[in-house]
Amino acid sequence: MKRLISALAISTALVTPALAQDTQVIGVSIPAATHGWAGGMNYFAQSAIDRLEETYPQLDFVLATAADPSRQVNDIEDMLATRNISALVVLPFESEPLTGPVQAVADAGVWVTVVDRGLSVEGIEDLYVAGDNPGFGRVSGEYMASQMPDGGDIVVLRGIPTTIDNERVAGFEEAIEGSGINVLGMEHGNWNRDTSFEVMQDFLSRHPQIDAVWASDDDMAIGVLAAIEAAGRDDVQFVLGGAGMKEMVQRVMDGDEMIPANVTYPPSMIATAIEVTALGVVSQTPVSGEFIIGSVLVTQDNAEEFYYPDSPF
Amino acid sequence: MTIAVTAPRKIKMSVIGPIVALVVLIIMGALMNPNFLSAGNISNVLSRSAFIGIIAVGMTFVITAGGLDLSVGSMAAFIAGLMILVMNTALPVMGIGIPIVLLGMAVALAAGLFAGMLNGVLITRLGMDAFIVTLGSMGIYRSLVTWLADGGTLSLDFSLRTFYQPVYYGGILGVSWPIIVFALVVIGGELLMRSTPFGRHCAAIGSNDQVARYSSVRVARVRMLTYVMLGILVGIATIMYVPRLGSASSATGLLWELEAIAAVIVGGTALKGGFGRVWGTVIGVLILTLIGNILNLTDLVSPYLNGAIQGAIIILAVVLQRGRKPGQ
Amino acid sequence: MGHAVTTPVLALSKVSKSFGPIEVLHGADIALHPGRVHALIGENGAGKSTMMKILTGYQPPSAGQVMLQGQPVSFADMGQAEAQGISLIHQEFNLADHLTVAENIFLGSELRRGWFLDKPAMRARSRDLLGRLRCDVDPDRLISDLSNSDKQMVEIAKALLRDTNVLIMDEPTAVLTRTETAVLLDQVRALRDHGTAVLFTSHKLDEVVAIADDLTIMRDGSVVWSGPANEMDEHQMAEAMVGREISTLYPPKDSTKGALALEVEGFHVPGFAEDIHFTLRKGEVLGIAGLIGSGRTETFEGLAGLRDAHGTVRINGNPVTIRHPWEALALGLAYLTEDRKTRGLLLTKGLRENLTLQSLHKFSNWMIDAKAEEAALNHAIAEFDIRGSRDVDVGSLSGGNQQKLLFAKTMLSDPDILVIDEPTRGIDIGTKQQMYEFIRKLASEGRAIVVISSEMQEVIGLADRVLVMRQGRIAGELTGDSATEDAIVRLAMGLGQTTILEGTI
Repeated sequence: MKRLISALAISTALVTPALAQDTQVIGVSIPAATHGWAGGMNYFAQSAIDRLEETYPQLDFVLATAADPSRQVNDIEDMLATRNISALVVLPFESEPLTGPVQAVADAGVWVTVVDRGLSVEGIEDLYVAGDNPGFGRVSGEYMASQMPDGGDIVVLRGIPTTIDNERVAGFEEAIEGSGINVLGMEHGNWNRDTSFEVMQDFLSRHPQIDAVWASDDDMAIGVLAAIEAAGRDDVQFVLGGAGMKEMVQRVMDGDEMIPANVTYPPSMIATAIEVTALGVVSQTPVSGEFIIGSVLVTQDNAEEFYYPDSPF
Repeated sequence: MTIAVTAPRKIKMSVIGPIVALVVLIIMGALMNPNFLSAGNISNVLSRSAFIGIIAVGMTFVITAGGLDLSVGSMAAFIAGLMILVMNTALPVMGIGIPIVLLGMAVALAAGLFAGMLNGVLITRLGMDAFIVTLGSMGIYRSLVTWLADGGTLSLDFSLRTFYQPVYYGGILGVSWPIIVFALVVIGGELLMRSTPFGRHCAAIGSNDQVARYSSVRVARVRMLTYVMLGILVGIATIMYVPRLGSASSATGLLWELEAIAAVIVGGTALKGGFGRVWGTVIGVLILTLIGNILNLTDLVSPYLNGAIQGAIIILAVVLQRGRKPGQ
Repeated sequence: MGHAVTTPVLALSKVSKSFGPIEVLHGADIALHPGRVHALIGENGAGKSTMMKILTGYQPPSAGQVMLQGQPVSFADMGQAEAQGISLIHQEFNLADHLTVAENIFLGSELRRGWFLDKPAMRARSRDLLGRLRCDVDPDRLISDLSNSDKQMVEIAKALLRDTNVLIMDEPTAVLTRTETAVLLDQVRALRDHGTAVLFTSHKLDEVVAIADDLTIMRDGSVVWSGPANEMDEHQMAEAMVGREISTLYPPKDSTKGALALEVEGFHVPGFAEDIHFTLRKGEVLGIAGLIGSGRTETFEGLAGLRDAHGTVRINGNPVTIRHPWEALALGLAYLTEDRKTRGLLLTKGLRENLTLQSLHKFSNWMIDAKAEEAALNHAIAEFDIRGSRDVDVGSLSGGNQQKLLFAKTMLSDPDILVIDEPTRGIDIGTKQQMYEFIRKLASEGRAIVVISSEMQEVIGLADRVLVMRQGRIAGELTGDSATEDAIVRLAMGLGQTTILEGTI
């Protein structure tokens, strides 16, 4: 990411004076803040826009947050029809329903940046910025395997049933294969604290011995931890969450034994996408292509780098 | 005309329907997993039923009186957020102790009362439709909590949460507080519904509000009270909820309104009003919670199908209640 | 006796009907002939409704035969009977309130032009059908805006459209005024002359005498008399229905009047009544007559706090303001509605809940005392002679018993001033007589009573004094011998030639 930001700084310096004529509009369409990660993503999108509007007076941003895919489609159609956008940054709610509308935007000659969730048809977008879901699962699985060299029994909480969740779980399962780790059960905690609390309670009732938990998300990890604490069970050695929520990163930093590590899936990828798109609009810098932000293992040693105290996530 | 043959006392399906469904679920659960009937699991199930349960008792009155409240889930989230915010703000001044917890509780009850009253005033005084009013307030509270939390999660100060936690996890003689409070609310609700003028008036209004009006029942006041009562009960449920995870976000209380309404209907209360029973609602809540619990305790079906199983059992429980319609 | 040789178009032969273990119809016969009007009379619960439901395919008989043109048939449902030209007009209207007159008339058999509705044709046809009924309602008006009598005409127009050869009407005149009834009867005659077989039920025996060719009288589920209508007079009919001798219908009037209970001056109910003024003494029965729509009901609903109203009202000499029904009740004023099914009783609730609804505070401190309620129900059943099972929903009681229960419910709140709107609508003659006795007894206890009624005989027979309303105003007051049907009609119609003293206020 550093490489990009420096590139951005250079191009800003070079290009700003040249393009003072016309205001150009960049549309940003993202899902509403319905859970922690999305909340963080909203925060990063807003702050990137504020920053960029100051840097480039000739740029205007339209930010729309949608509570479901069909409203997101409406937002995008409105942007194209009424705001005359030059570029669209979209984090699709779901791949299938958004593919057609985004295709239409691309066909209208608008620059399209797709973030995180790929569209169903390849080649629509000019720029693709995404996290690495299989990698997220793989890094988590490798960490689990390294922490349990003799194998052990774990339970897994999954997110809302989506491609993202499937890719993560597949990556995880691949990584723990042959490590002697035995998955006792997998249930959907829907990336929700309350649901995970209840699911974990039931896991604890059902299995007398659980060595570790892959909660796969920090919101779910919080519910899991509360359930373990309430049950007074000391067989669970650690819980691995994910996504880099600041409270959880803090606990990693503090050396909490239950939370020895975290795996990033930064919501700030939206900011990266907006910044790169803005750069592409104001300059002639070639920015098209794919940009995959890898998932990094956070441990006590490097936790400080991943701690953003101002973010809500 | 004077033939008054008293038919032999038949077992009414509407009464035993939900009970049968509950018993079948319990037997299924016990057969599938030996831990199902363990004290720990029973306590878990009852405690987690308490939030929806307490709200559903209030919802029983609203629905019986011919109303509806879709806002309870987001109302709970908003109250939880407000409570956390107030307690965190007051922490430097008041310090950790019983007073600050009482302050939080008072805020929750007052907010519930106010929110219920707002719904009630719009519905009874301005004559608006309950569905639309509460659909509106549902959206308002949901965004207010997102706004309060700045899109993220509001968390209760860690040490404060530790102090407050016994309200969810503690109890008397091994029975946790949520279960005790739930039981008290149910007993109070059942008495109120069954043997007070208020309960009788709710049923009369739901059954035909014109008749109630012509019978000098204070229709607007009774309706208003059902919403206020529900708001206060949402406040009570929130008081129990906050210490569990010590946080509130826009995902808090999601779909609670539908679960509460489903529990009320599964329990045998008429959706169009006119007849309600609180004990039935309790059974409805337990049925809904147990389905999730059993599915988590077993590998019987793909977790993708949890919703389908839940839906099927809700429909089944309601079908079981319907006796054969006389005379067609 | 030409009808004896023609084949009846529709008949029942030895038909019985049971619900569970209870037989409600015992081997009844009836025969409807084309071009004849057949009246079916009997007390409430005598089995008239069941018989009509079997005739129209709404319910199958348990035993016996339904004969169509002399051939046994069995209708699977009402649609099949309708296809054979048999139409039933319910006592409760079967009209969609939010649709227009024309839309209702053509509901289910809309005229089309290509893919679209042919509205002008339907409108014209509706106007034509209503014209035959001498009803000038605009086909574009909404049913909810119509008066009861116009609704009745729309129902009949609907039946006319469907080439009906058997028209069955359940108490078609119960909600009609005298003039409206006359129009309806004319129309029935026209249908008869057209060759239609008409069956109707009524509690108004003068109508039966006026129009029926054939007559069937029922009592307790059996046919007790059947034959040409001109063989019976009103009195004989009443006795056959009741099964005992009926002496005088109305109890003697008691002339001891007490102090002023209610004084009303300059009372307005916006949109319905203006400048109403009258007084009422304790022990007095005041009759209110007038056409439907003259503001009778609305005036007293306004007085009872059920409608917006303003004016001077004094109860026992003290000025009062009544804005809500419970305020009226607290002042001892109760209004007993004319509409027992949708405003008076909770049809899906039991007797006990209904009885105590208006005075629940008397049965509860904080909790309701169910034993006291049961005792009150026992008392009410005995005092008001409510028959039938006490464990059923009120909706399954007969109209007369419902009315008695409604009466008992109102009396439980022990009002000093009681307004009774249509005390005997849709109930049989035996029950009527009982109601009149109750009303007189209440007056003799010193209560002040207002009786609103469309039946002039009732107002005259029951009331000490009659106020006639017309177009939202009091048109005049009649007392003693001056209170005759003729005088009431004149005042009600605005032919004010009579020399009546305007009220003494």
